Amino acid sequence: MTESSNHEMNNEVPWHVRMIPFFDRYGILIVIVVMCLVLWAMQPEVFLSWRNISNIFKQTAANGMLSIGMFLVILTAGIDLSVGSVLALGMMTLAVSNASGVPWPIVLCLSPFMGMLAGFVNGVGITKLRMPHPFIMTLGMLFMARGLANLISGGVPYSGLPDPVRFLGSAQIYLGEFDGTRYNLPIVFLFTIFVYLVFWILLEHTVFGRRVYAIGGNPEAARVSGINVDQTLIIVYTICGFMAGVAGLIMAGRTNSGFPNAGQGMELEAIAAVIIGGASFFGGRGQVLGIFGGVLIMGLIRNGLNLNDVSTFWQQILIGGIIVLAVFIDVLRRDWGTRS
Amino acid sequence: MRPQNSNDDSPLLEARGVSKYFGAVTALRDVDLQLWPGEVLGVVGDNGAGKSTLMKVLSGLYPPSKGSLHFDGNEVQFHSPRDARDLGIEMVYQDLALAGNMNIAENIYLGREPKRKVLGGLISLFDHKKGLQMAKDHLDNLKIQVKSVEQKVEELSGGQRQAVAIARSIAFQARVVIMDEPTAALAIKEVGKVLDMIVGLKDRGISVVIISHRMDDIFYVCDRVMALYHGANFSESHLKDTSRSEVIGWIMGTKENVRELAHDRVK
Amino acid sequence: MKRIIGLIAVIATGLLMTASSVSAQKIVVSMKGPGAGNPFWAAVQRGAEEKAAELGVEVVVLAPPTESDVPAQIAQIEDQLVKGAAGIVLAPTDPNALAPVVDEAIADGVPVVFVDTKGANEGVTYIGTDNETGASLAATHICENVAAGSDVAILQGIITQSTGKARADGSNAGLTACGLNIVAEQTAEWDRAKGLAVMENILTGNPNLKAVFASNDNMALGAMEAIKNAGMLGDIFVVGFDANPDAAESVLAGEMAATVAQNPYNMGAIGVESVVNLINGGSLDPVIDTGTVLVTAENAADYQ
Repeated sequence: MTESSNHEMNNEVPWHVRMIPFFDRYGILIVIVVMCLVLWAMQPEVFLSWRNISNIFKQTAANGMLSIGMFLVILTAGIDLSVGSVLALGMMTLAVSNASGVPWPIVLCLSPFMGMLAGFVNGVGITKLRMPHPFIMTLGMLFMARGLANLISGGVPYSGLPDPVRFLGSAQIYLGEFDGTRYNLPIVFLFTIFVYLVFWILLEHTVFGRRVYAIGGNPEAARVSGINVDQTLIIVYTICGFMAGVAGLIMAGRTNSGFPNAGQGMELEAIAAVIIGGASFFGGRGQVLGIFGGVLIMGLIRNGLNLNDVSTFWQQILIGGIIVLAVFIDVLRRDWGTRS
Repeated sequence: MRPQNSNDDSPLLEARGVSKYFGAVTALRDVDLQLWPGEVLGVVGDNGAGKSTLMKVLSGLYPPSKGSLHFDGNEVQFHSPRDARDLGIEMVYQDLALAGNMNIAENIYLGREPKRKVLGGLISLFDHKKGLQMAKDHLDNLKIQVKSVEQKVEELSGGQRQAVAIARSIAFQARVVIMDEPTAALAIKEVGKVLDMIVGLKDRGISVVIISHRMDDIFYVCDRVMALYHGANFSESHLKDTSRSEVIGWIMGTKENVRELAHDRVK
Repeated sequence: MKRIIGLIAVIATGLLMTASSVSAQKIVVSMKGPGAGNPFWAAVQRGAEEKAAELGVEVVVLAPPTESDVPAQIAQIEDQLVKGAAGIVLAPTDPNALAPVVDEAIADGVPVVFVDTKGANEGVTYIGTDNETGASLAATHICENVAAGSDVAILQGIITQSTGKARADGSNAGLTACGLNIVAEQTAEWDRAKGLAVMENILTGNPNLKAVFASNDNMALGAMEAIKNAGMLGDIFVVGFDANPDAAESVLAGEMAATVAQNPYNMGAIGVESVVNLINGGSLDPVIDTGTVLVTAENAADYQ
């Protein structure tokens, strides 16, 4: 312990190993920039137009909310399969209560609240009922929340929401008119930035956040360090559910309705964004900025293919390929980074 | 058994008649243990003799099924490792219990993170700067050299990790450090450094309980050695009054003809 | 680095392989589900593409990966609006959820028509099956094959839905007009198992039943099971609706008498024609019927 370990970083380290920290930090940014350049080259007049860029944010906002909540869960080496259904549950609770005359300030809070409740149940189930894996509990919640969403709505969509409820999902700030084009800034864009900023502070700069990383890194270490692992996990799943509820609120605002099929398969999109964004299924790894990148990459793929009139089947193939590649790059990174 | 050079009236940490049952299995039966201030106590025994269970009882991870624990002469009850730690009893686990994905400083302060209040005390944030500085000072103080306290623990060698784990155990006014096989997973060249650190703890007045299979470790760092056999006290002695072969005999559960027996087994 | 470049190359190739080089103004046909594997949407697509070729306009046919992926359909339309779509033929996955983006299109001055499913937006033409006409087509076929004054029954769908109500009304009017005696009108909620159960009850109470109209094929097939179980195969004339492959098979096997087919090809073709009409400043009726066809043993093979 008294000898210096400087000799470990000698000049014989191959270049690709020395590049690892660089790619850890900026790899996803490079991918995004290159994707944008390719899309811009293919649709020069359309892709970088203000309206298209704000569309991308409108289209990715719900997935952005689900993904950041999912990231928190995956950091603890867990998984939440229920977020898509919880989104629908929040959305339908909101829409049905609105239709039955509940005042809008309450309607507004109902979706995040139902999400929180579902997430709390997930957390308690995983820790206190000692489910062998979060997969089981959240798979159960996937069905329960979907069933509940259908039950309270009778399986039919409800439409027509008051403007304050739609605000988050559909309102825009009018910036002005230049060269005959009207520039609007979607509120949901600002909101997404705000949420990611909050999560960045939460994970990097609060004791809670560091403990979430510690639990993902080594739950035993966290436990013997006096961290209340169960309590932390319950909070993590509650936050994840809350974000699913927020996604439900955004989607309700965007579509001016609640439809019980909402969010089907979105849990997988969120997991994909988190994995593309550099998180590890084994927990403890990944950064908020990376997740933002993962969400953006998914949105860019969808947008790019739509702009080029490509079938959505291609979107599925590409996202699948990118997930595999993203994880493969991570495997290579570890191989290079492992000391022999 | 009071150390010969001790002026203290009572042991710092004491277990009296501790038993521990796991269902029908008896892991410990009426075990007594005394740890005096500033001594290093070696605990030996074969696999399954109950050493690790006893350490987990002492560090608050397991409540004893029977018997009592005493600290500084007062009876104490531990509901979690936190309670033991509040009294200054720290455990260094065999698997080290470090989070490999986090840096050295964060591991040292895991569970007791330095905080700073912002927005008029409304929000309490993790104080990275203070944590890094404290960790650096602490490691310097212990003469543990690392490239940087911001290095991730998974990038460290086994000996460096053990050093971090020990540094972590004494970061907060520890009075007792319990170590479970601290040298088992180390490269030979790193063993000596870790043993020197343990001697260093003793010099700071910290009492140490160490479980080890390695007679070299026991005879290098310990003042006293006690043996468990089938979950019960078997024998104990001041180190200078015993020999390796006698201690090996204890581990195998014999006090008679130890020399011959030990020589038969350990050639 | 090579790996990153490789990743980017894959994305770029994927995009370039199928990308169109010109982004000229096009008519967008947005279907509920992909044509691949679904004969209904395949026919809509064929109708749209053939009509576009005939009129000399460009169309792009899009669909979300599944019929429940509402956000994907919304995103497709938003993205096509940015590209400057000339007109939109839309089969909405969810009429209410699609309403805001349809409003956005209209605000942009892009004409929209609905096909297959009526949207929630006011003043937008709906081009689809007139279910009432289709149901009376079925009723007429029953009238022609069953002696006047015979006992007949109607299995209704969910009549709080517009389709269910139209089919119930059309069949009731048709059967009454030709002097048949409607002894039962019950709902089996579009469901095959419920169709079986409801039919069992009807048969118990009406042993002289001569014909049944079921508002969809699932219920008709359920009713066939009940009839077979009661040993009355061949005694009762059963007509369904939708012409799904199972029903077509049943018709060919001589069990169900007939079913009614919608005309998805017309939805695509009339959809494109109508939106071109709007682009050229024309106007449309609020509802355009795409027609229905009676499917009997003679033409059932086309629907298998």
